[in-house]
Amino acid sequence: MTDVSRRPEIPVGTGADRPPEARGVARDEVRLLVSAADEERGHLFSDLPSLLRCGDLLVVNESATVPASLPAHASLGDFRLNLSTPYGGDLWVGEPRWGFGQPGPLPLDGGSLLEVVGVPCTLVAEFPGIPRLVFLRARGDLRAAMGQVGVPIRYGYAASEFPLEEYQTVFARVPGSAEMPSAARPFSHRLVNRLRERGVGIAPILLHAGVSSLETTDFPPGAVPVYPEPFEVPAATVEAILRTRSRGGRVVAVGTTVVRALESATDSCGLRPTRGFTRLYLRPQSPIRSIDGLITGFHEARSTHLALLEAFVGEARLRQAYQVAARNGYLWHEFGDSHLVLPDREL
Amino acid sequence: MSGRDSPSARVALVTGASRGLGAALAQFLARQGHFVIVNARDPAALSKAVAAIANSGATVLAVPGDVTDGATQSALEQAASRFGRLDLLVNNASELGPSPLPRLSELRADDFERILRVNVLAPLVLTQRLLPLLTLAQGCVVNISSDAAVGGYPGWGGYGASKAALDLVSLTLAHELKGSGVSVVSVDPGDMRTSMHQAAYPGEDISDRPLPEVTLPFWAWLLNQDHEQVSGHRFRAQSDRWEIPEP
Repeated sequence: MTDVSRRPEIPVGTGADRPPEARGVARDEVRLLVSAADEERGHLFSDLPSLLRCGDLLVVNESATVPASLPAHASLGDFRLNLSTPYGGDLWVGEPRWGFGQPGPLPLDGGSLLEVVGVPCTLVAEFPGIPRLVFLRARGDLRAAMGQVGVPIRYGYAASEFPLEEYQTVFARVPGSAEMPSAARPFSHRLVNRLRERGVGIAPILLHAGVSSLETTDFPPGAVPVYPEPFEVPAATVEAILRTRSRGGRVVAVGTTVVRALESATDSCGLRPTRGFTRLYLRPQSPIRSIDGLITGFHEARSTHLALLEAFVGEARLRQAYQVAARNGYLWHEFGDSHLVLPDREL
Repeated sequence: MSGRDSPSARVALVTGASRGLGAALAQFLARQGHFVIVNARDPAALSKAVAAIANSGATVLAVPGDVTDGATQSALEQAASRFGRLDLLVNNASELGPSPLPRLSELRADDFERILRVNVLAPLVLTQRLLPLLTLAQGCVVNISSDAAVGGYPGWGGYGASKAALDLVSLTLAHELKGSGVSVVSVDPGDMRTSMHQAAYPGEDISDRPLPEVTLPFWAWLLNQDHEQVSGHRFRAQSDRWEIPEP
């Protein structure tokens, strides 16, 4: 298996350490690198209506970010628990960390007792193959605890704590993502209106993103670094996609979560309405059948997002785009700049 | 930890729980607060598994014996009766047959009979006998299947045929029990590094197969679904995607 994360030649640019608004840039005025056919062009995100055509369809993730980072305590002392994914009932997957910028794993054994904002929890098991994640059984309401004292998950590169609103996209409707599905962050309401006026459709899916733990570098070769996440591709979106395709329009995914949801809803019979959990890992050789274009951020060299992007455009094309982006000061991370990828297509 | 007095504690019964998938699943359920009844043929191995589970303060009850044996079936029924309900029956104990696996053209009739007794008849009889307690709890029956049930792999004919039969037992029971509150699902756990898998490949290195714990996220997902909605379906625990069937 080719592991894109072991490719030093994929450049990494400077990370954005705060939301664009805090840098004096409007939400929809971050930079947009457009990779179409064989060239890169620089734009602003607000140029998007002129880059898409009447009849194109944007597929967006309606998952809203929850304040998933909570203070926790166990016999080893105080630490931070980032809740990743609820499995239903009282069962959660979470990531115990020493702090926002200090990853785990923590020396917690199966059966350990923790206290999370007054809620007693039992560590049920280590997550198989991903030791920094654990299954937790909560004897109380962790969602209520999030509402009271939870803050958005952040990592060491964030300049400070930002309010939850900074981690929401205009499409956010159903709370559930531990981390913002950030590709849609540059969309503003005025931009959405301009896209609709242009004749560009918008259809939703749902995928609740878990923790990304960006500093993770410890996957053994062959291990699948993706864990299951809840998703749903509704019937109306399937219909919109099929209609778009049949009329020659382009289906453009807004974010890698959208690509994963659509590919997870595609089988040998094609795309169909689907809901459940997916841990589909789109690696460099994976076929990507469901989309014609992708809007995404700029991703760390070792991330699964980058593996997906390579699956979509190929390694050479990806390297070229990232060289241009890094050389021209595009910003990485969830508050950074944006990238529209339309391979094999003229604008 | 849930104590014996907790009225909401769920009760699970796992056969073949002394090692491999059964032991991993029993431990996982116990740590989630289930009362767990565990069964396996080898009393010493079962005691070791029980000690590991009880270590974390969980309530666990061991019933050693062969699942095809009427006395063992009665003992399992009695154990569940003590708790007054059964939320989950996992028919996991399985008979692979002779090792190395003989071709179907050479499978002895008495070996095939033993395979069918353990893999088809025992899960059905246990389900029948435990049905009143399962009904009380609106419980779920999970029958452990195999990709051999659909594969037609050379050497796997006896075991595969038994798992195919078990799949049809699961599906039929699910249809018959619709509306009763009891659900029945079939689960193919996928290849795992277990003693049974080693017996299927004697002398081969199977260290590239994952440990049975690889299936824990799947169990976490399945056991939190609406049982009525998943009843009658077959799942692959190591699949990339676990889909909630449309009604």
